[in-house]
Amino acid sequence: MTEADSPTWRVPPRWVLLVAVLSIVAAEVGGGSMARFKVELTRWARDGMLARPGVHGLVGVRDVDERILDEALVKFDAGLRLFHMHAEGMGLVIIATAMVAATVIRHDAARRAIIALLTTGGAGYPLGYLLWSALIPSYGLERSKAIAEWLVWVPFGTATIVALWCLVGFVALRMIRPKS
Amino acid sequence: MSAPVRRPPLAVVLVALVMLALGETAGAAMSRLKPEIQRYAAARVAANPAAHGFTGSAEYDDEVRDRAIFTAEAGLSFFHLHGEGVGLVLFFAAALVAAVVSERRTRAVLYVLLVLGGLFPVGYLLYGAAALELGRDAGVELAERWILAPLGISAIAGLAGLWLALARRPT
Repeated sequence: MTEADSPTWRVPPRWVLLVAVLSIVAAEVGGGSMARFKVELTRWARDGMLARPGVHGLVGVRDVDERILDEALVKFDAGLRLFHMHAEGMGLVIIATAMVAATVIRHDAARRAIIALLTTGGAGYPLGYLLWSALIPSYGLERSKAIAEWLVWVPFGTATIVALWCLVGFVALRMIRPKS
Repeated sequence: MSAPVRRPPLAVVLVALVMLALGETAGAAMSRLKPEIQRYAAARVAANPAAHGFTGSAEYDDEVRDRAIFTAEAGLSFFHLHGEGVGLVLFFAAALVAAVVSERRTRAVLYVLLVLGGLFPVGYLLYGAAALELGRDAGVELAERWILAPLGISAIAGLAGLWLALARRPT
């Protein structure tokens, strides 16, 4: 029986699978930690914000300050949740897409480049949410978001999106020209 | 030693990848183009005043407009979330079908059901767009009845079929 009669998968390189599984493990640990250390994490973030009143626009009036602190704490929590969710999802995306790339792309350099982009982009992107949360107490909501955006979300997210659309192109090409 | 694992047809893989890529791209668009999306949504609502039941009372109309824009943004957000999730479900379910279902015709039926189910997230794009063009309730009703429900049922049928095939497989 030939490959055309019964096409089979090719497994991606081991480092790719290790990175993907590590991303999923980190997500699970993140989710567990959020539940287990909720009080400690909230206290840490709150103390950090109270230590930098100027950064957060705290004015010393309890009613006003509590509203500002609450909003920042909601975002802090959202960042952790989004890390948990995206790291789990992107771990699976890396496994699935790298497997397709390893199977479908015959050109060595192109295959290696696409797999590298999918893996680094997919594993790096969720870390932006962790960075965002970690920076909120020190830099405030907007500045921490801008830092995470330009350091992590834009470069790693772009890498993933570009690699995914390239992979779509390779799969479509392979359907049109099976010998390519 | 383990044997090579059969893969699904490239057409099925392509649909899963396109859903994942669209889901990722929608997520980026939501984040980078939020003001532009909100402006576009407001313009579409303003272009369809009758569909949204505008009364001429600024207070009431503003509330209706805000609700319609929120629904359109929710549609895009659901599309991002479901595009990623359903893309993965289609990929892994189809991979399982290829690996464990030996009868060719059964495999073909399951692929068709799963691919139709894999298109489910597109319903959320329609959900957002129809809420702007036809009014919030009519738009949501249209997307739910004609796209989301049938494609969702197809996904459930495909997954149930896969479960049955796995359960009936000789050990």
